[in-house]
Amino acid sequence: MPTEQEVRTHLQKIAYPGSRHDIVTLGLVSEIGLHGSDVVVHFRPSSASDQVLQHLGGKITAALSALPGVEHVVVHDGRRRLGGGQQRPVAAPAKSPLPGVGKVIAVASGKGGVGKSTVSVNLALALKALGNRVGVLDADVYGPSIPLMMGSEATPRAGDDKKIYPVEKYGISLISMGFFLDDQSPVIWRGPIVMGIIRQFLRDVIWGDLDYLVVDLPPGTGDAVLTLAQEIPLNGGVIVSTPQDVALLDVNRGIAMFKQVHVPIIGIVENMSYYLCPHCGEREEIFGHGGVKKTGLEVLGEIPIVEEIRTGGDEGKPMVLQSPDHAVSRAFHTIANRVMQASPKTLH
Amino acid sequence: MPHPALIIPVMEEKSLRILWDDDLLSEYSFTYLRGWCPCAVCQGHGGTRNFIPVENPQLESISAVGNYAITPRWTDGHDTGIYTFEYLRTLSEQHETLSQEQAKG
Repeated sequence: MPTEQEVRTHLQKIAYPGSRHDIVTLGLVSEIGLHGSDVVVHFRPSSASDQVLQHLGGKITAALSALPGVEHVVVHDGRRRLGGGQQRPVAAPAKSPLPGVGKVIAVASGKGGVGKSTVSVNLALALKALGNRVGVLDADVYGPSIPLMMGSEATPRAGDDKKIYPVEKYGISLISMGFFLDDQSPVIWRGPIVMGIIRQFLRDVIWGDLDYLVVDLPPGTGDAVLTLAQEIPLNGGVIVSTPQDVALLDVNRGIAMFKQVHVPIIGIVENMSYYLCPHCGEREEIFGHGGVKKTGLEVLGEIPIVEEIRTGGDEGKPMVLQSPDHAVSRAFHTIANRVMQASPKTLH
Repeated sequence: MPHPALIIPVMEEKSLRILWDDDLLSEYSFTYLRGWCPCAVCQGHGGTRNFIPVENPQLESISAVGNYAITPRWTDGHDTGIYTFEYLRTLSEQHETLSQEQAKG
């Protein structure tokens, strides 16, 4: 039977995945117990994922079982709460703590009415068309419009495990506040309630395996957006704006907000860029085309005003799906490509 | 910007360890970490960098903020410090300088 010191020496040969530091030096091993021919190793509560702990548990078992006199090796994960009692364990600030979800892309705007939800829906469908598994989280709690735009009237399924399963529409997994409200009732909640609901979405929704989750943020740079950006681990931000100077004023606030919460901005989409007259074919630049260049952000695409985008949204048949060869749909494919370049999908 | 690969509070040593994804291992005593709390309540708005000593601070829990920071909750209820990873790196890399500042008070 080995001594505690001998066990420790053996554990010191086990490195943390991706590191040259061993698990004892890191402090990951909190306790070693010797009971007859059994060895019990306790992990300290930490931000390590279940997979890493399982992997290390396997290595520990293999290493210690080989020692003479050892019959059983038991490894306890660090599930005990910090300091005992009711407290939460150490939250992992992982790059994406949403299980199964690859990259989380936020679509934001400095102000309302610039077509943020339209861009979210069509960007999601374009990402899907490029071979990705895609989900949409409609985080615009005050004006959830994605169910209408996607033509989805189904309600998310609640499992016996108290988890929420997203609605599937056009091959996209979808969760929206709109599913839980009727059309008439206004959303008159204050910040804390909104945050509670968003947290529940993040915690209890089973997304399955996704390459991209497109998050449609509420408009503006107010309390709800800021908190959301802190609560959801965003990998990249796409800003939507119309080209006139008045709208661009607010874009700068959006940029500053993303900087504040350390979310890299992938670029800007110029929506309502110009109007193509269906009668004479003349191009009318109502809001002054190209204005978004002034922001200094990479212009991901320019979306003209065409009636089909509007009808597509109102009828729940998004443009990218309805007319994939239309100039608008091609613009969305370009945007999706650039998003993929800036935020490459994680290999599963 | 390096990202933490592992965060471990070692309660009996009253310290927090962070293993970064570039393999740097940082260690912060609770006294040091709490004293350099970046929140406005501790730092004020004067533009100066202040060490606010707290006697024997105890960590209650740690939560993640977005993908850029953590917030410790201390047993005296203080939980307003958002420690960005950048700030935590600074606290680690400038440990010597900051400890001297801390000693001067």
